[in-house]
Order: sequence, then C-alpha cells, then structure tokens
Amino acid sequence: MKYAISAVVLYCCCSAGFGAPIKADLECRPAGAGPVYDCMIRLSDSKSRAPVSDAAFTVSADMPSMPMTHNLRPVPALPQRAAGVYRARLALEMYGKWNVKLRISSPMQDQITKAYDFFEAP
Amino acid sequence: MEQYALGVLANAGLLAFLALSAYVLIIAGEMSFGQQAFFAIGAYSAGMLTTLAAMPLAIALLAAAACGALAAGLLGLLSLRLRGLYFSMSTLAVAEMTRICLERFSFQVDGPEGQLIGPNGSAGFGGIRYVFEHGLEQGEFVLLVFAILLTVLLIMYGADRARFGTSLRMVGEDPELASMFGIDVRRVKLIAAAAAGAIAALGGALYAHHNTFIEPGNFDVMLGVHSLCYALIGGLGTPLGPLLGVGIDIFLMEGSRLFQGYRMIAFGALVALFLIVRPRGLLDERMVNLVRSSVRKATQRYFTIMRRKQ
Repeated sequence: MKYAISAVVLYCCCSAGFGAPIKADLECRPAGAGPVYDCMIRLSDSKSRAPVSDAAFTVSADMPSMPMTHNLRPVPALPQRAAGVYRARLALEMYGKWNVKLRISSPMQDQITKAYDFFEAP
Repeated sequence: MEQYALGVLANAGLLAFLALSAYVLIIAGEMSFGQQAFFAIGAYSAGMLTTLAAMPLAIALLAAAACGALAAGLLGLLSLRLRGLYFSMSTLAVAEMTRICLERFSFQVDGPEGQLIGPNGSAGFGGIRYVFEHGLEQGEFVLLVFAILLTVLLIMYGADRARFGTSLRMVGEDPELASMFGIDVRRVKLIAAAAAGAIAALGGALYAHHNTFIEPGNFDVMLGVHSLCYALIGGLGTPLGPLLGVGIDIFLMEGSRLFQGYRMIAFGALVALFLIVRPRGLLDERMVNLVRSSVRKATQRYFTIMRRKQ
C-alpha cells in the first residue's frame, strides 16, 4: 500500500513539474540577556545539496500551542560570508518550544518551518 | 511589512473559522472546548490529500469539511445526550484524545526528492507545499481564505433567517419548550454539531496549507478555549460577532507586543470582563435588533425624503 502511494506521489509530483524545495538547517545560540537568540540558517538545494546563496527570506516564530496569536514579528535573515549561510536574531517572548518559520521570497517562493527548543542557558 | 500584514490577516481569517464553529454550538445551547479536534482533522486530512495523493486543493478542502462533519456528527451522536458542563467536558476529552492519537499517528512515504513525507507523530507533518508549488502568492491565498469565509458566512446568514435558524435558537434558549413546539431537539443539535465540525475542519485545512507544517501541539486546549472566547467577546446575536471577537483579539495581541509574553494576560482579563459586563458579547441579540431597527428607520426616512423631493 505504502509503495503504491509512493509511486502515485512520485508520478504526480513529476508530472506537475514541482520545483525542488530548499532544505534548511537551523542552529540557535543565546545572544545576551533573556530569551534572545542568534540563529544561523544554512540553506541548500534538496536535490544537489549545493548551498543556496543570494536567498531573500524572513524569519519568524510561532508558539506551537497558540500558533496564530502567540508569535514573533518576522525579521530579515542576513547573508554571512560562508555560502548559503544566513543569520537572524530572534527576541523570543519566553523559553520553550517554538516553530521557526523561514518565509523565502527568492530564488523561489517557499516556506520552511522547523521546530526548535529554546532552553535557558545554564 | 506587507508580508507581515498579510500574515496577520491570514491568521485572523483562519481563526475566524474556529470562532464560527464554536459560535454555532453556543447558539445550539452547548459550549464546546474541543473544536480544535476538528480543526486538526481538517488540517491532517487536507494536508495528506494534497501532499500524499497530489489532489487539488479544492477537493482536499471539501474532503476535509466532510471528514470534520462526519467526526463531529459521530461525536455528537455519543455526547449530545449529555448536558451543560458534562457535554463541555466530553468535547475536551475527545479533543485531547484526538491530539494524543495524532502524536502516535505516522504515515510516511517516499517523496519526489527522496525524503520521507507525511505525518510523523509528535515530530509533525511538514512539506505541505501545495500553495507554493502551484505559484499562489501570499496575497492570493489570503483572498482565498476570505472568499471561503464569506461563503461560510453567507450560508450561516441564510440558515439563520430560515426555519432551521429559528429552531436552533429556540433549542439553544429552551430545549424543553422547543420540543413542545414539535422541534426535534436532538436532530437540530446533531446538524449544528456536524456543521460546526465542517467549519472548523475547513479552517484547519486552510491553516495546514498556509503554515506548510502542522504538529499535534498546534491543536491543544488553548486553541479551543480561544475559539470559544472569540464568540463570547464578539457576540452571539449575529455570525459577525465571532469575527469581531477575532478582530479584537488580533488587534490587542499585535498592539501590545511591547509587553511580550505578558500580553496574553490581557486576553484573559478581557474575557473575564465581558463575561461579567456583557455575557452574550458585544453584538448580542439586543444590539443586533437595535442596529437592525435603526438601519430600517434610516432607510425608510431616506426613501420618504427622496419621494417628497420627486
């Protein structure tokens, strides 16, 4: 059953000509007092694994338990020296699990959401 | 900034579905703390249909609404024999059971890029990229959300003015009296529960496609409590009431970002205040009748003046 669905999905996706999605890796470190974090985001092409440079995107975060009201205003991600690496500072309202959203406007329209645990530094 | 404003608008539209869903049940005389369960059912079913079965969004939305109605109808069959607090508790229990089931639910298949796609228990269900794969801009998606919301509102207005609306309000006010008038109370409540489930599921389906990622944690009790509060703040006199409640909450939340996490307290205080001062919300039945009669009088006056001028 699973294989049959996989085959249908593969067929439908290929025939519709979907663009290859971008893969994102996220790593956040505390930056100052309170729940303020510097997040390093590594973008790569999900097919070729090549880093995606010159991307334009914003980073925001939603608290999973109250997704549409307890959230952060989006901040632009700034490109770093290394290819495909971007930085964004997130000033969270509290520690805990947040869904970090990357809204990409270039080179393609996409949105990547990553669940991330922000814990208080010991 | 434009993207941010569109995001806020989309959130308001999506929450409005949940608020309307809770409103339908309040009108039927029942308080549900579990409408988030149908929101989740809609989100997962529509997400799976567009992502795993590559179905068009329109079909996924219809199927999600049907799943929500079916689930709510089945729950109604079992729980509508309960009254008041017992009914509320049963809806909360079912919502939590649904969330826990979703924590265990995993159905992943190989995606086009070789990665696994589909729901993966508590790790969530990502890659619901239909909107992006089909080139829908954020503004267009917001328009779609509001177009569907408007359609739901028009259907609700139609039902409110029809015999069913009168029966529903009578059942909500006094089920015994409604029964004496020949209204099948159980049937009316069951239809209301199924309709409320369908509305919530429709909102959930749109939410999944807006967010591209859903997880069981998104559908916890907080969402259900908020949906109930939107209807109670906005008012129970008209379907526009819950929308007003959503607008007030979003405005309050966005306008008080300075207070960070403490701003959620303001929402709780607002609900407490409304329950004391205006227990049936801002746009309650009295206010709606007042507005209606004022508009009617103003229209009559306008036409009288126009006739005199001619």
